[in-house]
Amino acid sequence: MFDRVEAFVRDVRELQTEEALAGALADVSRDLGFRYFALTHHLDVRRSSAAIRIHNYPEGWAEWFDEQSLGATDPVHRASNVTSVGFAWSRLPDMIVLSADDRRILDLARCQGIGDGFTVPAHVPGEAHGSCSFACAADDPFSERHLSLLQLVGAFSFEAARRMRRARFAAPPIQLTDRQRECVMWAARGKSDWEIARILGISHETVIEHLRHARERYGVGKRTLLAIHALFDGTIGFLDVLRP
Amino acid sequence: MTIVVEHGCASPSAERMLRSMFEDRKSVFVDLLKWDVPVIDGRFEIDQFDDRHATYLIVADGDGDHLGSARLLPTTRGHILGSLFPELCAGQAPSGPDIFEITRFCLSHRQPAASRRRTRNRLVSALAWHALGRGIRAYTGVAQVGWLQQILAFGWHCRPLGPPRRFESGMIGALAIEIGSDTPALLAANGIWDIAGEPPVSIAQAA
Repeated sequence: MFDRVEAFVRDVRELQTEEALAGALADVSRDLGFRYFALTHHLDVRRSSAAIRIHNYPEGWAEWFDEQSLGATDPVHRASNVTSVGFAWSRLPDMIVLSADDRRILDLARCQGIGDGFTVPAHVPGEAHGSCSFACAADDPFSERHLSLLQLVGAFSFEAARRMRRARFAAPPIQLTDRQRECVMWAARGKSDWEIARILGISHETVIEHLRHARERYGVGKRTLLAIHALFDGTIGFLDVLRP
Repeated sequence: MTIVVEHGCASPSAERMLRSMFEDRKSVFVDLLKWDVPVIDGRFEIDQFDDRHATYLIVADGDGDHLGSARLLPTTRGHILGSLFPELCAGQAPSGPDIFEITRFCLSHRQPAASRRRTRNRLVSALAWHALGRGIRAYTGVAQVGWLQQILAFGWHCRPLGPPRRFESGMIGALAIEIGSDTPALLAANGIWDIAGEPPVSIAQAA
């Protein structure tokens, strides 16, 4: 079966459209024993036009999912944010605390004909988290035999989708000056403007200016959001902020 | 600056970089990632492949201290995939004079996140640059699958060499990275290619 995955990897390199990728993914998923696939960024896709989402789930299920704005709260998506290795959905209760709503979503999916599944997380630094999931039809048996191959299919598919998206929605990365970045790092550590001025040996007004420019570059109004955006795209690192 | 140290050379100018590289490798692979690999003098992570056949690509700061590095091993003799993890390949582990294995890809933690990212980009660019200059057609490598998405996201052409397997240290897979004249453009499309003003400098073998 590895030959099948090798051929898939070779093929997707040449594909140019998400429709073509969806077709190739449906084929390889079926060959590996899975009726459905869903490749997605973990965002509310109705609000983010640059978000990737392709799938072959039953009609109706995906619409309902979007109606509820579940992209970021789906238990499978949440679980895939806590690991970098593929996991079977049966392990969800060991990975995250499942709420009553989560159980309701999982039950509803089953009612729509979606059975057990396997999800490959896709984390690229500085970009929204995503994943590629594979699911059996509700009545089909879930086999663990090809999970390591699905891991590869998920990763290479996500990268192909990412390449297609980039061609359509290329945006230059936001860059801060070194001084702005230092101010943001100290702000993220909870320091006031006055404290940052003392730490860096610059004037209070200059710190205010640096942080104002940094907020403008990210298009946010609040200090907290500035810190979150800068952490998210890797301008500052968690280790910088959490360092004692 | 970025330098290439070939044939395990130990010229004085490279010595400081190599020393701080072996120290950073200890802090990354032993202290942080908890790999079970040998440590010399309690300070340096040096194993049996750090010999005169190894080539090092090193990104260093103005003082010559290590910021990031990778070790290249020839696949025509013992190397990590061929000798230690052959079961990760569906067929034979790729080998030949134009195939090298990337090992010990290391980014120093003594730099903030933004700088670490720049170092990473310069190191990945140097890998492509070095391969094109030396007629290296492909790199191979063994990696935790958690890194796979990042390696693919650099934009270069990769292909899996076999199904990943679960080891005590996690799930591990083997990959080939094909280098060609289009590689710099593929890296550039992902904002990785960073070599322009300052191509890597090769340091010749010491006598």
